[in-house]
Amino acid sequence: MMPYYKFDYFSFDFSLVVAFVIGIGFGFALERGGFGNARILAAQFYFYNMRVLKVMFTAIVTAMLGVFYLSWIGWLDMSLIYLTDTYIIPQIIGGLLLGIGFVIGGYCPGTSVVSASTGRYDGMVYLLGMFFGIFLFGEIFPLIENFYNSTPMGKVTLPQFLGLSHGLVVFLVVMMALGAFAAAEWSEKVMTKKLGREKE
Amino acid sequence: MKCPIEKLSISKRLAIIAALMGIAALFIGNPVNKNKITVNAKELALTAIGNQDEISVMELAEWLIEGKADFTLVDLRDEKSFNEYSIPASVNIPIENLLDSDLMRNEKIILYGDDDIVSAQAWFILKSANYKSVYILKGGLNEWKEKILYPKLAENASSEEKAEFEKIKQISLHFGGAPQIVSGTTTSSVIQNVQTLSTPKITPPPASNLKSAPKKKREGC
Repeated sequence: MMPYYKFDYFSFDFSLVVAFVIGIGFGFALERGGFGNARILAAQFYFYNMRVLKVMFTAIVTAMLGVFYLSWIGWLDMSLIYLTDTYIIPQIIGGLLLGIGFVIGGYCPGTSVVSASTGRYDGMVYLLGMFFGIFLFGEIFPLIENFYNSTPMGKVTLPQFLGLSHGLVVFLVVMMALGAFAAAEWSEKVMTKKLGREKE
Repeated sequence: MKCPIEKLSISKRLAIIAALMGIAALFIGNPVNKNKITVNAKELALTAIGNQDEISVMELAEWLIEGKADFTLVDLRDEKSFNEYSIPASVNIPIENLLDSDLMRNEKIILYGDDDIVSAQAWFILKSANYKSVYILKGGLNEWKEKILYPKLAENASSEEKAEFEKIKQISLHFGGAPQIVSGTTTSSVIQNVQTLSTPKITPPPASNLKSAPKKKREGC
């Protein structure tokens, strides 16, 4: 039965080893997906290279179908999967901040680590900036703590929030992804022509 | 003639698979309902008949004295009663919070309430939620008080019973109890500073050699 950690198949110490291996795998997949390159990542926001959307949505759909079907056949106890609490307003603001940083710097936190570890200077600088941001956040946390904890919604999932069955949400997300893939292909064609760029 | 699927690129084929799985999901609906549980009734019945799921208060007392820490002792009563008195090293999880607790599926869990009823209910809930080794402290806290904290020996007991009582007395004293020798209606204490049974004053004994509450597993990102 999964999740293995919750069923105590390994200790906290060993879980760090597992996390390390998964982290390496994640970084490798990102690098192979081309996510170590700020140009490819930033291109997402100008709609001429939609690789980020395609890779990320593929990952989401794969993971979602995996979780759904594994729990359907009884190998995974979905109720034990860790969920972070939702604080809707602070998280929207946080998401916007991350997005602005993404457009400016060309990386998100994970991809900046990938980029830095493949030896790119811009990735390393981005990483330093990120640590500075973490430091700053830690220092001003007492001032923003009330806001940070405002509008709590608890551990909420889309099926709960929308009052739909899991299966319906899975279906809708898959259809959304397929639609997004088709739109992405189309926008790449149009924007590449419009901007007079070669497809990277 | 070529099959139309063979003409498609890999990503288009994968897209078709994803679409099919999405459509199938639509018909499956909810894969699991957290509050709906499936039970292997026969397995449960066999465990219950064999009394394999019961721990006697004496066994537990010995484990606690030895400092065994391979189990989690769960007090199912409300917080108020728990604060008044609880068996050393126990954690308080009222029965309504049981499924939301940090208990791990593979750890050895020993349940107790005032008597056996609430533990039996909790045992069933946990067993059906796939907890592997769940045990009931037989007789619950009432029996713990009766046998460990305030063991009694009739004055006209046989020598064998007296020898047995000596052992129990040591255990009882370890947990801050008050062994007594009972003769008819009057009660004479073995220990001088013990009050009458009607108002038992229980002070939790020091539990330095016992593990504290089980550490919570860290998680999240």
